[in-house]
Amino acid sequence: MSSSRRALSIIDWRLFAAVAGLAALSVLIIYSTSGMHASLARRSLYLKQATWAAMGFVVIIPLCIFPYRATWRLAYLIYGVLLAALVLVAFMGRSGLGAQRWLSIGSFAFQPSEFMKLSLIILLARYFEDRKEQLHSPQIFILPILLTLVPMAFVLRQPDLGTAIMLILISASILVMMGLKIRYFVMLGTAVSAVTPILWRYLHDYQKNRILVFLYPDMDPIGVGYHVAQSKIAVGSGGLFGKGWMAATQSQLNFLPANHTDFVFAGLAEQWGFIGSLGLLLVYAYVLSRGLRLAKDATDLFTMITSFGIVCMIAWQVVINIGMVTGIMPVVGIPLPLLSYGGSSMLMNLLAVGLLLNIHKHRYQY
Amino acid sequence: MSREYEISNRYAYFQKRIRIAAVVISMAGLLLVLRLWTLQILEGDRLLQLSLNNRLRLRSVEAPRGLIIDRNGEVMVENLASFDLYAIPEDMPDVEDTARRLAVILQSSPDELRQRVSQWRGSQFEPVLLRKGVDQRIVTAIEEQKIDLPGVGLQVRPVRTYPNGGSAATLLGYVAEVSGTQLQSKEFRDFHPGETMGQAGIERRYDAFIRGVDGGEQVEVDALGRVSRLIRQVEPQSGFNLHLTLDNRLQRAAEEAMQGRSGALIAVHPLTGEILAMVSQPSYDPNQFSQRLTSEQWRKLITDPHHPMQNKGLQGQYAPGSIFKLVTALAALEKGAITPETKFSCDGAFNLGSHLFHDWKKGGHGTLDLRQAIANSCNIYFYNTALKAGIGEITRVARELGLGAPSGLGLGGEARGVIPHNTTGSQPAGGWYPGNTVMAGIGQGMVTVTPIQAVMMVSAIANGGTLYRPWVVRKIETLDRELIEEYGPERVRKVDIDPDNLAIVRDGMQAVVNEGTGSRAKIPGLSVAGKTGTAQVVENSGSQRGDKRDHAWFVSFAPADNPQIAIAVVIEHGGFGGQVAAPIARSLLEAWFKLPRDTAPTHAAEPEPAEGD
Repeated sequence: MSSSRRALSIIDWRLFAAVAGLAALSVLIIYSTSGMHASLARRSLYLKQATWAAMGFVVIIPLCIFPYRATWRLAYLIYGVLLAALVLVAFMGRSGLGAQRWLSIGSFAFQPSEFMKLSLIILLARYFEDRKEQLHSPQIFILPILLTLVPMAFVLRQPDLGTAIMLILISASILVMMGLKIRYFVMLGTAVSAVTPILWRYLHDYQKNRILVFLYPDMDPIGVGYHVAQSKIAVGSGGLFGKGWMAATQSQLNFLPANHTDFVFAGLAEQWGFIGSLGLLLVYAYVLSRGLRLAKDATDLFTMITSFGIVCMIAWQVVINIGMVTGIMPVVGIPLPLLSYGGSSMLMNLLAVGLLLNIHKHRYQY
Repeated sequence: MSREYEISNRYAYFQKRIRIAAVVISMAGLLLVLRLWTLQILEGDRLLQLSLNNRLRLRSVEAPRGLIIDRNGEVMVENLASFDLYAIPEDMPDVEDTARRLAVILQSSPDELRQRVSQWRGSQFEPVLLRKGVDQRIVTAIEEQKIDLPGVGLQVRPVRTYPNGGSAATLLGYVAEVSGTQLQSKEFRDFHPGETMGQAGIERRYDAFIRGVDGGEQVEVDALGRVSRLIRQVEPQSGFNLHLTLDNRLQRAAEEAMQGRSGALIAVHPLTGEILAMVSQPSYDPNQFSQRLTSEQWRKLITDPHHPMQNKGLQGQYAPGSIFKLVTALAALEKGAITPETKFSCDGAFNLGSHLFHDWKKGGHGTLDLRQAIANSCNIYFYNTALKAGIGEITRVARELGLGAPSGLGLGGEARGVIPHNTTGSQPAGGWYPGNTVMAGIGQGMVTVTPIQAVMMVSAIANGGTLYRPWVVRKIETLDRELIEEYGPERVRKVDIDPDNLAIVRDGMQAVVNEGTGSRAKIPGLSVAGKTGTAQVVENSGSQRGDKRDHAWFVSFAPADNPQIAIAVVIEHGGFGGQVAAPIARSLLEAWFKLPRDTAPTHAAEPEPAEGD
């Protein structure tokens, strides 16, 4: 009793509050942008999102109590299970929006690819921790690259370009931190651009379109470019203070497709303007700064890489998502952490922040 | 030791990299803030406008056009509700079933309906037009089976309707969408594409009064074009009702009397100038235009050699033939060149220099005075009279009586007609010779008049010398019978012709009907005055066969001593005026004097009854 009380007392409540605030904000935005929607299912999505968030918190609070080191032990197992799940998805998964991403267990459908991001971080953390004596050897990077590319290939095949990109970015961030020379990436980039014409053939039409529209935004104003154009209108029309609660016409009236998932930020920017958007970025900045502090203060490599990996994962998602909503990045389908609608994404991000909280709580024990 | 050092060195390296990552992330964050600043602050207003444009739509609600009503309150032009059959794909759970049920009602194949829905390229929430203007039976059937026909609906649209079809069509005009060329002109800059307007006749001239003010609905729509709520609504204001001087009963009688022959007929009240009937034939059905004319129908209308789109009463220019002898007689009397007692003898031919002019009657009329010459329409008499009067005086009298200038009715495209002049204006090449005067004196050669000019001239002769401006709209009222405009008789001029001379001519015109060429217009118990005319068609000289026959004229008024109605009839290629046109005028006069009327003229115009007689 006294130990659990002590355990709670050293939880980073401010980080917890920031994350809880983001999750609550997510429910509010989804609610406020679906008011006029025709389908009842769409109108009740905010309730589902609230359920996911609540489930996430129920899971992470006890997780804080157990030492996060347990994940070190489970790292390969989790990775293996998720990889198997990805294989399963490829053969018998549920599809939606033209992609096969979900795996149903009973009535519970989840996207293994979302959890693969977090699993990859832990896997790499353990991998380098286990080999901290051999960090000077360049060969050490070969296996991590393979461990990244295998799940990435399955995710790309779903096809889920956004998550595939995320896996690469997360892995690359960790590898660079671990000393992989940037020039290798330059070489890799060269190699990729060499094979791009070949890869291009394997991209779905909608993926090709999205990339083309990013490169030439005026190419197709009513087709795919419509999405970005409407999203920019939504964000910009918010102005300094926004149109106010429930007044986001762009999202409410469905001019902006996917306004509850990848484009949820537009709903916030439209309702609460520049001030609201800036506030959101500051909350993310706070979360990231806490994570970076944990990484910097870490005394072991596993903790350091895990914290850093989570920070990179969230940072990349925020930057790319808001970048695409505001039209400075291609629309690649990356959700905004803790804000976009989606059970798997919400749960995974809560778990990630839960890990940070756990690290914070146990930081003096190692 | 070195291993410990190496590891701590590594950690320092990692921490440096973490710091670099922090800087990179901060810079990326700053980039996002900058981007948001650009969009929300710098471009905020523009994008806000775009978002408003996205969601707000202005739907115009067409105002019903005003009615056009004849002098007795009979509706000549109205608006009927037309029902269009629509389906909204989104609201049709079972297209198959609905199509099958609809097909039974429409007596068509379900495939056609299914295809219309499946081939619809618009939004699922937008109505698909299944059939335009369905009849009452279908409307009733669909209303009855509403529950079994989800997603199927009827939309009401006001359609301009002319219950009498082609009757008075060229006068009333028609309504159609503003054309592309019209939209480009300055006059139509307030119109937008798809808007309808009066395109001819009264509909066009009084469009501003009739059209009303369109209403509008500002609605909020979603991305699929569905209306989510009504923001602002402005009720359409109905157009004003037009009350005409026209008597629809007389109009019908006139059309019947014309028996489908190509030509024009105008009846006016000679004491006011108000138009009582105006026929131009062949005509067209203006209802066709309300229901979107096909290009085939349009082509047929404009290539018809009988010009159904033309109002021949205003636009048709015909040689007046012998009706012009009234002018010649007046000119000679005015000049004092002849008196009613002046006699000329007619042996059927007339020598002018080396040229021989003929009378229409072989062997001639013998010796006649003016009254007899008018009655028998003797050419020889009027050759002599014309020469004595001189072309100058003939021209003056013609112009005094309103010939050679538009009558001023104010409906578009009115022709001027041609009145010759010996010094200026219309002159044959090579100069004016006495031969030209002789020809002009009997209304041939360089003379043309329009039927409206003819009837106004006859009115002026009938009423003792006042030339009126013809008018057809007597008042404009709102739906609540509030008066907007009222029109009355308008004198163009008191003609500068001795009333005694007019009386002499009136006497001659009575003789035309009583004992002369216009005897077929004689009505027992009614003193009818008239003048026949047989105008040679220039392309042929007087053959009485086929389409090149002469135009048949008859101008008339009655009663001769107290004129209530004046009529001009011209039948294109009809032949002799006395044979063809006079009976038409008689039918009309009979009809007119049989019709029950409270008080004849709508306006107690300052009566200027015929003097003399």
